[in-house]
Amino acid sequence: MKAIFKRETKSYFTGMIGYVVIAVMLAFIGLYYSANCLLYGSADFSTALYSTTLVMLFVLPALTMRSFADERRNKTDQLLLTSPVSITGIVLGKYFAQLVIFAVPVAVACVMPLVLSLFGNVLIVGAYATIFAYFLLGAACIAVGTFISALTENQIIAYLSTFGILLVCYLMSGIKSLFTSGNTLAFVVFCVLLAVAAVLVGLACKNLTVGCAVFCIGAVALVLLFKLRPAWLLSGFNSALTALELFAPFTDFVGGVFSVAGIIYYLTVTGLFLFLTGQALERRRWN
Amino acid sequence: MIEVNHLTKRYGSHCAVDDISFTVDDGCIYGLLGPNGAGKSTTMNVITGYISATSGTVKINGHDIQQEPEAAKACIGYLPELPPLYTDMTVREYLLFVAELKGNKKKTERRENVEKVLGRTALQGMENRLIRNLSKGYRQRVGIAGALLGSPSVVILDEPTVGLDPAQMIEIRSLIHDLGQTHTVILSSHILSEVQTVCDRVLIIAHGKLVAQGTPEELAAKLASHGVIAATALGSREAILAALDAVPGVTNVQVTAEKGGEVSFTAASESGADLRAAISAALAQAACPVLNLTSQTMSLEDVFLQLTEGDPAAEAPEKQIEDAAAPDAAETTPEPQAEQDKKEGE
Repeated sequence: MKAIFKRETKSYFTGMIGYVVIAVMLAFIGLYYSANCLLYGSADFSTALYSTTLVMLFVLPALTMRSFADERRNKTDQLLLTSPVSITGIVLGKYFAQLVIFAVPVAVACVMPLVLSLFGNVLIVGAYATIFAYFLLGAACIAVGTFISALTENQIIAYLSTFGILLVCYLMSGIKSLFTSGNTLAFVVFCVLLAVAAVLVGLACKNLTVGCAVFCIGAVALVLLFKLRPAWLLSGFNSALTALELFAPFTDFVGGVFSVAGIIYYLTVTGLFLFLTGQALERRRWN
Repeated sequence: MIEVNHLTKRYGSHCAVDDISFTVDDGCIYGLLGPNGAGKSTTMNVITGYISATSGTVKINGHDIQQEPEAAKACIGYLPELPPLYTDMTVREYLLFVAELKGNKKKTERRENVEKVLGRTALQGMENRLIRNLSKGYRQRVGIAGALLGSPSVVILDEPTVGLDPAQMIEIRSLIHDLGQTHTVILSSHILSEVQTVCDRVLIIAHGKLVAQGTPEELAAKLASHGVIAATALGSREAILAALDAVPGVTNVQVTAEKGGEVSFTAASESGADLRAAISAALAQAACPVLNLTSQTMSLEDVFLQLTEGDPAAEAPEKQIEDAAAPDAAETTPEPQAEQDKKEGE
């Protein structure tokens, strides 16, 4: 794992990507910091950091797109997978290397509240809590990107899919508000999801009957739920959407709340997607 | 020691490797021979744990590749068809990375091992070059150097000489020969002459099945005993055929030429026994003097063709012969070799 970590970190700096990611992140954090805090005179560093979350959407997929996609395309994954290293070691080695790149702009951001405190009273603890949450948010985004990179061998597809998924998560609070109107909509959406799942199951098993059976059983369950407990359907739907709000817990920190649930959420997302990355690599060996 | 038991690998409905079993003993050079698409690379990928078998087991020095992948992989050095090189690293950086990946923890130990394999693969002077800027032959050597790191007991090389010029081919072959002194080597190839000169034992694979195994001589002898006899006798065609008919064990008599009372024919032996004496005696009895009588022995090439013949990809073996013939021709003529060396140097 250590060997992979060292190599990956170094390769980000022998190419352009590492520098570009650090430079763009720093440029935007610096821009909002200068404008909000230094010029306008606000003591609230959290808000400045909050404004740069959108930049993450563009920059972090560029960091993660090559991690596994590139290995697969150049067949260098053959070296890693035939070496006496566990899949967990490979995934973690690569993941921590990306995390180190992202940690550089975050580390620089740590200096900013200190500079600000020279000029007056600053909420130092709040600022550092926000920086910590910002790092965890980035870590979760990188885990998602790493997983997607493990699914394809095309870096551009990896970039666009990661960007798309992060964008949906980013816009989820807005999307969620569209769906509070009625149970019927939730029912329809669940039906569509069920149909997609049934098709996937059918394809995976190469069996039409299995796919149809999955759809029929699911449809019966959904209809029963819709007739008997429509409120469950809606709340279930809403909590599913809430789970996709990747950027929401971070806003709690910006608002001055130290949310333990938010930290657990980010760590869970990170762990889940790293686990899925390992599974994706494992699965590829069987096909 | 590698034990492969009933190995099968399916890609969807296509069966790439079909129930192959063999054992590789320590200290030998094994050649996996077969036409393109026969399942050589798939077999090697399964043995090294890169892909999983649909069914069957692979054990390396007693470690099952599925159950104890890390212990099993630690015993293997693998050079895949396309050397897995990070082109943005220098040769030395890459080899140090591979050494660490294979579990050389100490820095001094890594350096030492890298120096050793650099010397062994004749890469000195290249260690600070970017892999991106290396020629195919040097990349292949870096790949082999990587496979040797971590002191594996088994070295598996997938088509190690493909794309090399004749001089490099000879070098790599002699390197493989040297490796055979200290390691168990499995190499795959579709070049017959290579396998014949380098390997102690040959496994011939066609259409995912193991069709034959043994030493090159054994394989040739095995089929030669079913040998074909070519002969020319003086007499009428009918008399000769009648005489041959009377000899027990003779099949597949074919008249190849008939000129001025001389009849040339070929005949095969059913049981594999040597029928030269019996045929000669029978023809003498029929008053057809024998002018010429030879037993045709088969080279490994003929064995290979015979075993992989009659398949859907019948054109493939023919291509191999051309491939095999080309380097041989070049090896004997020093001039083009020198030219290629010059190019390599540039």
